[in-house]
Amino acid sequence: MAIEITDSNFEEVVMKSDKPVLVDFWAEWCGPCRMVGPIVEELAKDYEGKAVIGKIDVDSNPNVTMQFGVRNIPTILFFKNGQVVDKQVGAAPKNILAKKIDTQLV
Amino acid sequence: MPVNHQEVQSLSHLELLAKQVVEGFITGLHKSPFHGFSVEFAEHRLYNTGESTRHIDWKLFGRTDKLFVKRFEEETNLRCHIVIDNSASMHYPEVKGGKSLQNKITFSVYSAAAILYMMKQQRDAIGLTVFSEQIDVQTQAKSSTAHHKLVFAHLEKLLENKTDVNRKTATADALHQLAESIHKRSLIIIFSDMFENIDSNEALFKSLQHLKHNKHEVILFHVTDKKHELDFQFENRPYRFVDVETGEEIKVHSNLVREKYIEAMKEYKSMLVHKCAQYKIDFVQADIHEGYHQVLLAYLLKREKLH
Repeated sequence: MAIEITDSNFEEVVMKSDKPVLVDFWAEWCGPCRMVGPIVEELAKDYEGKAVIGKIDVDSNPNVTMQFGVRNIPTILFFKNGQVVDKQVGAAPKNILAKKIDTQLV
Repeated sequence: MPVNHQEVQSLSHLELLAKQVVEGFITGLHKSPFHGFSVEFAEHRLYNTGESTRHIDWKLFGRTDKLFVKRFEEETNLRCHIVIDNSASMHYPEVKGGKSLQNKITFSVYSAAAILYMMKQQRDAIGLTVFSEQIDVQTQAKSSTAHHKLVFAHLEKLLENKTDVNRKTATADALHQLAESIHKRSLIIIFSDMFENIDSNEALFKSLQHLKHNKHEVILFHVTDKKHELDFQFENRPYRFVDVETGEEIKVHSNLVREKYIEAMKEYKSMLVHKCAQYKIDFVQADIHEGYHQVLLAYLLKREKLH
């Protein structure tokens, strides 16, 4: 299962993680987000123990959303050592997201 | 009121012909290529004040009072560019007395029309480039109906064009220009006999490489009259051979040169095939006597690989 990230646990889960982190910014009312959702869940299973995969609801967590200037959803940010290293805006197939995580794992 | 037959005939006669070719082909293949080319809803973006309200997701606004714009992904649509060599050598063999004998240019034009017709059905963007010594015609790749009509009109003009001038080929220059001027990641379909000056082979291969460098997918239809141009099947008697591009003439007994000619052509062709393989360009041998189906089959296979 992908980790539920919020404004309060963001620092702990994402910024302080020693593994690469994928954060999916989504909203319940957004169609394309629902296409990406299951993909993120699959990735969470595939990369268990190797990377942190989380999702954050933009409606209930405006602080983090504002902090990273997320204006489009779905947006997927990739973090490594507390820094944004990659970004995917809009729905994307699984292989593209997996490739982006793999580059961070090397 | 009587129907003006001439006017009716002039209405996209070429398009209809292309339709027969394509549909006949697809029934034979039992697989339709017409799917998966729709525009896809990819993301919601916050609405910026002052922006056009056209794409606002009003249903979402109604439900949640949020103003978001819908954005669509169009990358599944293909931009296809058809390139036709219109040098004098492409007008071989001469169409005598209006007989429906096919030559290389008519073969290329009909094949191109068939492909264009398919693209039109799929609402893919198409562009056309015709070149001889320089680029004669170049259109942008668009998918509107008006644009398709324009491209068909250009193709029809090619059919009327007789071999009145000794137009030489400058494939390399044309391809270089094309590589720079069109959108990256297009599908480029070239119809040419690739009869270049032997000395400029390197330049020709460089131009093909240039296309690949700009991330284009390339299919090269090597249009030939196999019987005469590759196998040199002429009767055993003296002939007068005329180079249609330079006007140079030689009188020679066909048997005397056959072996050497076949040898040289084989060498040139294998070099072409090798270079294309090296640059990952699809090389398709298109004999004008074999019909359009081979052309379309190669084209569809290529499309399958792209998607």
